[in-house]
Amino acid sequence: MLGDRRVVATGLGVVSPAGSGLDAFWQGMVGEPAHEPKDGVADFDAGAQYDSPKELRRSDRVIALGLAAAAEALDDAGELGLDPRRIGIVFTTGGGVGTFRENVFVHDEKGARRVSPFAIPSYMPNGAAAQISMRYGLQGPCECHGTACSSGTNALGNAARLIAAGRCEVVLAGGGEAPINEAVVTGFDRTGGASEQGLCRPFDVDRDGFVVSEGAGLLVLESLEHALERGARIYGEILGHGCTTDAHHITTPDPDGTIAKGALQVALADAGLRPGDIRCYSAHGTGTEFNDSMEANLVAEIFGTDGPAVCALKGSIGHAIDGSGAVEAIAVLLSFVKQTLPASKNHRTLDPSFPPIDVVPDGKSRKWTPAPTVSANFAFGGHNSALVLAPYE
Amino acid sequence: MPRRRVAVTGLGVVAPCGIGLDEFWKGLQGPATNGETFSVRGFDAEPFFDNPKDARRTDLYTQYAVAAAKMAIEQAGRPDYDPLRCGVWIGTGIGGISTYESQIRALRDQGPRRVSPFMIPMLMNNAAAATVAMAHRFQGPSDSTCTACAAGTHSVANGARLIQDDRCDAVLAGSSEAALTPVCIAAFRNMTALSPQDRSVPFDRNRDGFVMGEGAGVLLLEAWDLAVQRGARILGEILGGASTADAHHITAPLPGGAGAVNCMESALEDAGLPPGEITYVNAHGTSTPLNDQAEAEAVVKVFGTDPAPAVTSIKGVTGHGLGAAGSIEAVSVVLSMLHGQIPPTVGFSEPDPDMPSIDLVHAEPRDWRPAPAISNSFGFGGHNGTLVIGPGEG
Repeated sequence: MLGDRRVVATGLGVVSPAGSGLDAFWQGMVGEPAHEPKDGVADFDAGAQYDSPKELRRSDRVIALGLAAAAEALDDAGELGLDPRRIGIVFTTGGGVGTFRENVFVHDEKGARRVSPFAIPSYMPNGAAAQISMRYGLQGPCECHGTACSSGTNALGNAARLIAAGRCEVVLAGGGEAPINEAVVTGFDRTGGASEQGLCRPFDVDRDGFVVSEGAGLLVLESLEHALERGARIYGEILGHGCTTDAHHITTPDPDGTIAKGALQVALADAGLRPGDIRCYSAHGTGTEFNDSMEANLVAEIFGTDGPAVCALKGSIGHAIDGSGAVEAIAVLLSFVKQTLPASKNHRTLDPSFPPIDVVPDGKSRKWTPAPTVSANFAFGGHNSALVLAPYE
Repeated sequence: MPRRRVAVTGLGVVAPCGIGLDEFWKGLQGPATNGETFSVRGFDAEPFFDNPKDARRTDLYTQYAVAAAKMAIEQAGRPDYDPLRCGVWIGTGIGGISTYESQIRALRDQGPRRVSPFMIPMLMNNAAAATVAMAHRFQGPSDSTCTACAAGTHSVANGARLIQDDRCDAVLAGSSEAALTPVCIAAFRNMTALSPQDRSVPFDRNRDGFVMGEGAGVLLLEAWDLAVQRGARILGEILGGASTADAHHITAPLPGGAGAVNCMESALEDAGLPPGEITYVNAHGTSTPLNDQAEAEAVVKVFGTDPAPAVTSIKGVTGHGLGAAGSIEAVSVVLSMLHGQIPPTVGFSEPDPDMPSIDLVHAEPRDWRPAPAISNSFGFGGHNGTLVIGPGEG
């Protein structure tokens, strides 16, 4: 178990190419995404997140994405009525990479004295967490945790533990990323993992890589005790969290998948569940050759032939890097409310070399009876993470 | 559930005042370091990697962490625990920033084909944690806390918690920074955070900003009982810690050090110690007017003046190691316990008449009977961190 106390989600906020705001996002999950993931959240109004154009200029896009998700999540959760020292934040991101790049150009073209005094506060990965804490006066632990593409899932696990251990009553948890600039996109292209067709096709025979995108997701996690006391709406419960490290290669998952499986096994043990209890698996599903092959085998080995439905959402949300895990967890919690499993956009034909896992295909979202679900992510650096979410009972 | 005790059994450090424990300890005694930035001198990454190619494919910030982790393991002997019960928690302020900066230029000046395939894995904030995990086959949880100048203190506290909560038996915990790049220096300079005269003089009346430093500190933490069982030498103990936020201003602390007070009190509560048990405060002490004033006020509020704990800032010789500061300072506190001595606040010469009176160790080291101590870090963004460290036994 996570700790001595139960932890539930009572508020959600999301900004994603699939759709921004919970309603639009869900439409993107069961229908067409609002924007092509490669274009990012094309209609996002960063300026609307600030009181003045000056504040906007002093901030990075990832901070604006975080502020937007925080505003929705806190509004959704309703009045918390807590000492601000009992409310924490874990917001993960690689940082304000766009701002830093612009300042390299300013530095080289106009001189060192013209570099923005806000370059560091905008770039530093804790910038978004800090801005959110300042805007809402939250004085509990305020941290950014980084494990690349598995950051979001680990952020939720780490945040849930703060509550389970009694260190916080509420934690605003999740992450975001705004990596769409020429330098970072080229960097991802050069890893050899990015899709040349610009489409993420998770577990599909025609997949050719991930699509770098952007977005942010935040969840209000709360002790069950406090949520019940204030009569909060409960989306679901965080039952368990596991993380392990391949210690194999900096970008390629260990093809054997043993250590990655360990993360799921730890999460299941943490939750006190058996593999057969899991009826949905929200996949990392980046659409790369190596990840999807490792992950398909892992799902088959852990869950067997009568395994859970597999939802792979990166066809609609793209790969929002540090933001992915939280956005995917939000989709899972919404699937509990809507009693519908989202479709795996761009998944048509399962790679025939894979074991027969039950991927929910493109356009075929399906009704389901909400049940315990695993949401997993695997990252550059070999960080494996898994979260067990369940309808509240 | 009862929490497990956390022993410190290995230390590693790379700092501007010295690489390795002996040189670092000597460097802590002074003299003051000079320069626009305090950089690590004479560092060669290759001996810390299996081969030169592996070293080249990592950012300098990762190289510092790999070096410090290797020193910590060598001091302690690699514990023979299940690899899935061995974790890594290595934080940073801004990760592989020199890689990012140079690759932005490579793309602009030479085109996409000249961008390194290792750009992303070198710049990402988890690169050090991942590379350290690979080097020692630590396959349990690995993570990284990025809370600016508080990242080191938070990472050691988070790493210790993995053991306290029985998720790991051993953890390599620490942090690393290598941000002395032209754009970062300019950005800090233009923020007016840096000393215009390049002087790091913590708590001095003439202090006017910090000097950027760099480096890494890593501690090997083990479950106390298991460390005893395997006969490891226990150098110190992580007794507790706290992480809080000012929620006030992106660069300035809460007036009167209220955030620091809250953080130190939470840490003492976490460790189960009354303020009177603390005889040494390793200060954040950056040499900025606002930090040192707020921190001195906070120390007096929490601990009083009679008796007052000894206070030292080592930033006169290390500069401000940003994300690395907290773990480098934690290493220095454990070294103080081994040497029975608190290093002086190098650079300090004149008390600030506007500052409440603290018992600052300066001019020369002070003999000290090892006892519980705290180490503070406060980050841009209003992140506060305090670690409570106790002596080892025997």
